[in-house]
Amino acid sequence: MQKSLPALIKKDLRLMLSSKFFLLAIGSLVLYSCYINFVYVNIDQDIFPVYLYDPHHSLESLPSFVTKADSRKELQEAYSDGYSVGLDMSGATPKICMISSGSDKTDNYRAAYALSALSSDGSSHAELIGKNDREMKNRREITSEFLFFELSAVGFLGLAAMLFKEKHMGVIRIHGILPINPNIFILSKLGLILLSDLVFAVLLTLFNLGINAGISVLPAVLLQTGILSIIMALAGFFCAISLPDFKQFSLLYLILAIFITTPVFLAGQTNLSWSWINLHPMYHLFMAMKNAYFHTPVANGTYYTVCAAAIILLFLLARLRLTREMTKEG
Amino acid sequence: MIEVKDLTFSYRKDKQALHSLTFKVEDGEIFGFLGPNGSGKSTTQKILTGILKGYGGQVSLFGQNMNSEHTQTFYQKIGVLFEFPYLYSNLSALDNLKYFSSFYPRGQLRDAEELLDKLEFIPDFLKKPVTSYSKGMRQRVSMARALISNPQVLFLDEPTSGLDPSGAVLFRRIIEEERQKGTTVFLTTHNMLDADLLCDRVAFISNGNIAALDTPENLKRQNSSRYIEIDYCYEGRQLKKVIEAPELEDGIPFAHDEIISIHSKEPTLEDMFIQYTGRGLS
Repeated sequence: MQKSLPALIKKDLRLMLSSKFFLLAIGSLVLYSCYINFVYVNIDQDIFPVYLYDPHHSLESLPSFVTKADSRKELQEAYSDGYSVGLDMSGATPKICMISSGSDKTDNYRAAYALSALSSDGSSHAELIGKNDREMKNRREITSEFLFFELSAVGFLGLAAMLFKEKHMGVIRIHGILPINPNIFILSKLGLILLSDLVFAVLLTLFNLGINAGISVLPAVLLQTGILSIIMALAGFFCAISLPDFKQFSLLYLILAIFITTPVFLAGQTNLSWSWINLHPMYHLFMAMKNAYFHTPVANGTYYTVCAAAIILLFLLARLRLTREMTKEG
Repeated sequence: MIEVKDLTFSYRKDKQALHSLTFKVEDGEIFGFLGPNGSGKSTTQKILTGILKGYGGQVSLFGQNMNSEHTQTFYQKIGVLFEFPYLYSNLSALDNLKYFSSFYPRGQLRDAEELLDKLEFIPDFLKKPVTSYSKGMRQRVSMARALISNPQVLFLDEPTSGLDPSGAVLFRRIIEEERQKGTTVFLTTHNMLDADLLCDRVAFISNGNIAALDTPENLKRQNSSRYIEIDYCYEGRQLKKVIEAPELEDGIPFAHDEIISIHSKEPTLEDMFIQYTGRGLS
């Protein structure tokens, strides 16, 4: 073991280098960081633009977020974008005009926001909770999402690509007659992917949250990175060793991306609420990662127990398939 | 060295691959396992190398029952050459050998460059990646991989496959040298020439059964028709005659001017295989 592991790690490192794995990781890091720092933090979409048609000049002062319309036609044109809200003050009572978003909940928010323009006493200020300003909140949110995506999709694919190479070369069969334990064959790959993912997580966090904020969340982030990285690498190992070729693996990867990762992003990022999402294992991993970036320790003992059980189960399945692959011929 | 008694194996319940095989391979012997594709050769070799479990009967190597968990010491004593030259194509010949040899005790290892030189590997390719090698060169590196740990038992699966005639002669010479060093060789092949030239004993395997087991000479002699075919010239004509071998004891028993050729009608190992199993080797 003492001699086998360094030899395996060295060989796997060379395989990763030749498969451009690190190049892909560096490329992702640069791309994500550039997007966060130069695009995402500058995106500040106005919340529901409000247009007012007030022919009787019944309002003396208007909040800054309200735009005046000179005619009913102009008002109609303004709210017909399906996003803006119109306030028609031509009658005795104010009338809310808007194109429905399709969600009653969202429409109510829009209406309430527009009506707040009519109250001029300034009594509806929201209380600020926490220390995050909007930019830091955005940075934490998008960094956690990119890291989750990188670990769940790219890490999964990276290890599988490396294993398919070895399968294609037939060298896995040789390891069946070498004086090594098959566990070490898995552990070496797992160790390298884990190390690579941890370094990636550190750099992505520090580049996008800054040194101080980054360091403060790193212990929790690295813990979640480690868990997700090991689970996805083992899942990738199992799928790659079980499927005969990369085409079938690509199809599985597509299914994984569409049906497993997408609902998690939708549930975590939009106001869509599905009760079944709590049964989705990736949702809990996603939320744990997100919470780690916001200093919110919601992951409990059950979460860590289930993660540990999943890792052990995936490891045993990967080992079983590996020993079967070793007996194949031709 | 290798002892197999009533060995049975099934991949599925309704498909038995091996039917009660019994044989013994002595120390320093080259034992040939001859059979066509799908006859059970590779399955037997996989059981002997500890890759395949769940068999019936008794198998022992180095006096140790194979049913017990294989320790690293067991794998340190065997060398296996697969039918296909499995190598890391992104690494060079030397790097491949360095990697595979790193799992064995240092004192047991042979020098990689020396070994490749012995296998007539082109030195210019030593540090080039395997992707640039011909099939023969890959087979040479694979053979070097099997030999680098100085194994006590060498399992060779179609060792001369993919080699040109001179390469095949070289490999046979190297296998013979290994035997002279005391290495036991278990040769799995459907190449009857390899078996005939190298093996001390051969077993014919067909449909998971051993149909015959003896030295190549005995197998051929026992079934020889003992006829001799003579081509000769007599009174300006070229003629051919077939006689029985004892008739030659007192010289050529017919009138002739010149003998052109004499052929013994001894059967080949392949003829014997067909006779015992009712099917060809390829």
